[in-house]
Amino acid sequence: MISVLAIGSVLVTSLVIGVYGVRAARSTSDFLVASQRVSPSWNAMAIAGEYLSAASVLGLAGLVLKNGLGTMWYAVGFAAGYVAVVALVAGPMRRSGAFTVPDFAEYRLGAPRLRQLCGCVVLVIMLLYLVPQFKGAGVVLSLVSGTPYWVGVLLAGLVVSGSIAAGGMRSATYVQAFHYVIKLTFLAIPAIYLVVYSSPDTRAQALHPEWGTHFPEPTPVEFTVGARFSLDEPVTVTTPSGAEVGLTAGDHSVTAGTEYVFPEGAPIPYPAGLPELGGQLWSTPLLDVGGYPLFETWSALLAITLGCMGLPHVIMRFHTSPTARTARRVAVGVIGLLGLFYLFPTVYGLLGRVLTPQLVLLQGTDTVAVVLPAEAVPGTAGAVLTALVAAGAFGAFLSTSSGLLLALAGGLSHDLFQGSVPRLRLAVAIGACVAVLLALPARTIDINVLVVWAFTVAASTFCPLLVLGIWWRRLTLAGAASGLTVGVVTATGAVGWSILLPTPPGWIAVLLAQPAAWTIPLAFTTMIVVSWFTRAPDWAEHAVLRLHSP
Amino acid sequence: MRQVHALGADLQDGLHGRKVPSAARRLRQLLAVDGVVLADLDGPVAAHGKRPDPEEVETLLAQVFEYGSNARTRLADGTSVCAVPLYVADELAGSLVASGHPLEADVEAAAALVSDSLDHAALRRARARIAAADLRTLRAQISPHFVHNALAVIAALVRTDPDRARHLLSDFADYLRYGFSEKGDYATLSEELEATQTYLELQRARFHDRLDISVRMAPEVLPVAIPFLVVQPIVENAIRHGLERKEGRGHISVSGFGEGPLCVIEIEDDGVGMHPDLARSLLAGTGPESRSVGLANVDQRLRAVYGPEYGLVIETAPGEGTKVTVRVPRFTRGVVAR
Repeated sequence: MISVLAIGSVLVTSLVIGVYGVRAARSTSDFLVASQRVSPSWNAMAIAGEYLSAASVLGLAGLVLKNGLGTMWYAVGFAAGYVAVVALVAGPMRRSGAFTVPDFAEYRLGAPRLRQLCGCVVLVIMLLYLVPQFKGAGVVLSLVSGTPYWVGVLLAGLVVSGSIAAGGMRSATYVQAFHYVIKLTFLAIPAIYLVVYSSPDTRAQALHPEWGTHFPEPTPVEFTVGARFSLDEPVTVTTPSGAEVGLTAGDHSVTAGTEYVFPEGAPIPYPAGLPELGGQLWSTPLLDVGGYPLFETWSALLAITLGCMGLPHVIMRFHTSPTARTARRVAVGVIGLLGLFYLFPTVYGLLGRVLTPQLVLLQGTDTVAVVLPAEAVPGTAGAVLTALVAAGAFGAFLSTSSGLLLALAGGLSHDLFQGSVPRLRLAVAIGACVAVLLALPARTIDINVLVVWAFTVAASTFCPLLVLGIWWRRLTLAGAASGLTVGVVTATGAVGWSILLPTPPGWIAVLLAQPAAWTIPLAFTTMIVVSWFTRAPDWAEHAVLRLHSP
Repeated sequence: MRQVHALGADLQDGLHGRKVPSAARRLRQLLAVDGVVLADLDGPVAAHGKRPDPEEVETLLAQVFEYGSNARTRLADGTSVCAVPLYVADELAGSLVASGHPLEADVEAAAALVSDSLDHAALRRARARIAAADLRTLRAQISPHFVHNALAVIAALVRTDPDRARHLLSDFADYLRYGFSEKGDYATLSEELEATQTYLELQRARFHDRLDISVRMAPEVLPVAIPFLVVQPIVENAIRHGLERKEGRGHISVSGFGEGPLCVIEIEDDGVGMHPDLARSLLAGTGPESRSVGLANVDQRLRAVYGPEYGLVIETAPGEGTKVTVRVPRFTRGVVAR
């Protein structure tokens, strides 16, 4: 109940800020106030607020719990992406005056058809990014209100499209900055409290992996989905009816709805195919799903770092800065704010491994940040902490998905169907519907897997377009178009295949699951080679020059 | 047919465009002759195939340009060269020279075709010039209108409140620098707001401060580039036709926010309003002479820059005040504030 109230108040406050929080003024001199630009620090907070999504708040903690310390590379990538943005695109993008990537493509290469192609790519990236947001919101809402998952997702869709329709995103800068504060405080306070509150033993266990492999107390585990898990030694568990069931060492299958109570000190079962909690593999600081840790780590880092600059809703925020110099300063500020924030998901992941290891079995690791406080702290205090985290996670969902939905709707109404009267609200509704429909079957897919998918596509399409478009005057229309097409097809196809279809083991599986290391170079090469064989228009040099002249 | 069509495309930049050599090649294929030379009044500009002796060509061209009629000569090797004048807008502009065994009637027909294409090219250039000139006139149209008002206000204050008059005069100077600046046709919304502020200072002086103003701007739309003097004329209209005739205090609010890829600016007043039909005729430019300057002008300029769907939207009724909405894309190719 407290959680529902907390979420509701976050929602209402953002709506109020959105509608009334634009600088209001009552005299003529306020024209001057209103016409002054927003300061870099506000702007940086707004960007960080929009950027920190459910993937950062929920997904990262879940992955640390499930796949081990290596997943912290994701946080590194999320923050490092802004280094690439500062170094390569923030300033020139500001000078071009372009608001979105399709705008930039039209500015640089001057072709409405390319604009439409970019619009399609925006659609793909935004949908891939929206689905995990809705999944996260659905999980959180169904957790705090006790409704089924699909109700949560549906509710999330209604809330977001409703808040956009109500004009809640009119003053995106202040709303997003508010959301950054919400996310930071609502995640930091429970995290710090948990660290201080938990016993020295728990803290030691969190830092010393081999201790985390046994249940700290008798723990009921309810399998809401069918699962296969392995045990290293035999255990006797009890069912709710009191009957004792002996489980031998080895693999076991359970159907949905089964409930076992594991006794104190029993080894924690782990799903087949995942690293044992706290084991050697778990603590190695590399991403390792398919057996080639170094390659996987680099590939994921590349995807996230370069994908950041290609995310349409990130790039459009630099438009707000008055000069290219401030745009860069803002981006540097964002790096600091992100770095600060990413301390906390790690805390949830590490403590979650000690206190709520059963989530791994239930394929519900994405909920760890919300479940953990109530498990760790009994009574009202725990409920309040849960409410805080839930509200923070909801704020993350609300800010990111509003930004994404608006970018998606903008692409739909402005880039793809140019000439018709823009029907933004309709486009928002359509985007939300599609995202909800796609999120319904995505329940068991990790939030971060989907998010990295979106980043991979962005890194293989818009990153080459922006980097070459800004730094290489010989880029041509044909080169850009073919590179975009190759990038979007390979990146979307590879990850899609690895998630949805069975893959052969070994190198192929790794190449499909983490394709950035080959799709990004492929897209770059295609653009360069095709551009070599075609002629850039005469004004290309002038267009590039304007991107770099102060 | 395709060759003829492509010929038109090749000549779309006139006789000095990039694709004129390709036009010469096409003409040679169409005429089935040994060589083709395209010349303007200063001499050959493009040629394809076998070229006759340059002196020969020069003599022929001189003949064509002198008499404005066809000229023909037979060469030593038994072939002949035929030159036909090209006319653009009834003025001699160049000549088409064919060598080999050209049929004079064919060459004449080809020359007519080329003349037509050149004519189109000239028209296209003229059209672009007219559009640019239109924009400039529209911009200039506003200024005298406002200059008069401003000077009248200051003149009224000079004796009663010289300090304020001096202040306003310097504001007015700033405003003029903005309005007459030659930097380009676009300004950022934030610059536009500053200019509007100066205007409102002047108006408040006239209204003896019975004017309330509120501004609400979402910061993310401030850097958006918009055509010069879009907000100020609408505010001016709201004051002159909405609030001036109203008894007691008047209130005007200006708000701006982003709507996805669009930037929306709303100017609302609680003045006397007008009949919707009148608003319609104002936008169409058919309203009463005294009121037709500001809004129609802004509307036309917005449409000229952004396309027909981005005109002004006026919501009004008698006694209900007026709300004018400007909705423009945040980014349009070519629209950059300098």
